[in-house]
Amino acid sequence: MTAIRADDLVKEYGDVRALDGLSLEIDEGEFFGLLGPNGAGKTTFINILVGLARSTTGSAEVFGHDVEDDYQQARDRIGLAPQEFNVDRFFPIHEVLEHKAGYHGIESEEAERRAAEALKTVGIYDKRDTRFDWLSGGMKRRFLLARALVTDPDLLILDEPTAGVDVELRRELWELVQRLNDDGTTVLLTTHYIEEAEQLCDTVAIMDTGRKIEVASPDDLRGRGEDTLLVTLADAPARPPTFDLDGVGRATLDGTELSVTVDDAGSRAAAVIRTLDRSGHEVVNLELRRASLEEVFVGMTRTDTDASGEVTG
Amino acid sequence: MSAFGTGFRSLLTREILRFVRRPRNTFVPPAITNVLYFAVFGVILGDRIAAIQGYDYILFILPGLVVLGAVSNAFENASFSIFHGRWNEYIHEVLTSPLPYSSQVLAYVVASALRGLVVGGIIVGVGLLFVPFTIDGGSVPIRRPLYLVAFMLTITTLFAAFGIVGGLWAEDFDYLTVLNQFILRPLTFFGGVFYSLETLPDFWATVSLLNPMVYMVNGVRYGFLGYADVNANLSLAVLAGLTAVVVGVDILLFRRGYGIIE
Repeated sequence: MTAIRADDLVKEYGDVRALDGLSLEIDEGEFFGLLGPNGAGKTTFINILVGLARSTTGSAEVFGHDVEDDYQQARDRIGLAPQEFNVDRFFPIHEVLEHKAGYHGIESEEAERRAAEALKTVGIYDKRDTRFDWLSGGMKRRFLLARALVTDPDLLILDEPTAGVDVELRRELWELVQRLNDDGTTVLLTTHYIEEAEQLCDTVAIMDTGRKIEVASPDDLRGRGEDTLLVTLADAPARPPTFDLDGVGRATLDGTELSVTVDDAGSRAAAVIRTLDRSGHEVVNLELRRASLEEVFVGMTRTDTDASGEVTG
Repeated sequence: MSAFGTGFRSLLTREILRFVRRPRNTFVPPAITNVLYFAVFGVILGDRIAAIQGYDYILFILPGLVVLGAVSNAFENASFSIFHGRWNEYIHEVLTSPLPYSSQVLAYVVASALRGLVVGGIIVGVGLLFVPFTIDGGSVPIRRPLYLVAFMLTITTLFAAFGIVGGLWAEDFDYLTVLNQFILRPLTFFGGVFYSLETLPDFWATVSLLNPMVYMVNGVRYGFLGYADVNANLSLAVLAGLTAVVVGVDILLFRRGYGIIE
């Protein structure tokens, strides 16, 4: 079943087009990453799904329920951990969770049980009587996840869930979210940490200026980037050697260190070494560096820069 | 999910707990304000003012003070809760839930009306303390209890519903102050809280009839004293109709996302 379907979504704020015909499908059970620079339209897309924004045109469905016409059914399936700390500060955090569960139709006794369970899951149960404002930054992030989990959602939406948290907590949260996904929860993740998407996501969509640029697995995307062969030569040549080979691009030289860009490091390395051999260069070391998702991402979302250095794209 | 199901009850409970747990912000201020009103206007000045329509001045002003406290607290509760939720964005907890928009509105309105009713009760309690000082063996009569209940329910609901509009409209805390201090309070003071319309020149008495507060103050006064400057039944019918319209507008505004959805 399709967990999320967006069809030609457009969202305009005055003259600004935050979403520009976004179409996307995410399958049930998938761990789906949404990558894009600031202003790409990721949060706008999420807000449309959860009811905090209305699309100008186009439509979106969550588990087959239109997010506007069947908003109750759609929202009942979603747990959202947003980027911003939008938490009720009047009540201790366990009560905030109980209220949230209640809004989803969960009776008070069950809501209490679930609130306790969610706080234990994210490791802040001992802070249950504290108000949100008094939690540390990391605990606040944990709490947002607990609030998303308290209604036992089929679709978990995480908008920059690890922004500003330390490495240890980030890894902890990754493990937790991965477990939930393994148990069948569909996860939609937006993040600025490319490593996060590489580690967690089955599929990644790269967005820019309100549009989807590409959808693929992190491995596929990496495969589309340029690898690099880092060759150490015995003697520094006067100028960089030239290669007339398929899939081999520019070479740059820094003393004895030669850097050659290739489309696939594994299959091109031998030909490059042979060519160097034939032209009398002795190779003393070879290192293969695969393209990172980050490089692919930057390449895909690169904006034009005018002469003054200002971004114009 | 039904309109009055678990979701509605959860939001209603949350809204009630919000003001019940902060009595120093919600119940103590109107109690103190009304101690001052009753002491100055009821006891000190009231002794020098002749009875109006046969009622001691303190009894005459009591219904108006109840209305003033009840409606301003109902309004303030709804407008603050909505605006503060928008300001800190925690209203998103409600908006992203499967609660129908009508249930969301009704929970805010019912809780706010309840706060207005509680404050009204507190003011009656303060009045009960002061009335015996000015009238030997005096008490607060309730001549038309059904009218009193009907008017109090209607006007607190009406102002709670207005409060929702105010909370959605406000862009800053200043807006709420403007609504409460510059519109609501003058209308109430010129709504016959401290005087009978019969004491005004004909022209101003007629102009006063354009002020909706006149009908509320007189309706509640009718409930307490059995006396009113205007027709109680007509007032009640018009106010009940207006309340239904404003609640309907609230639901429409929520559905359209006015002030809350991008």
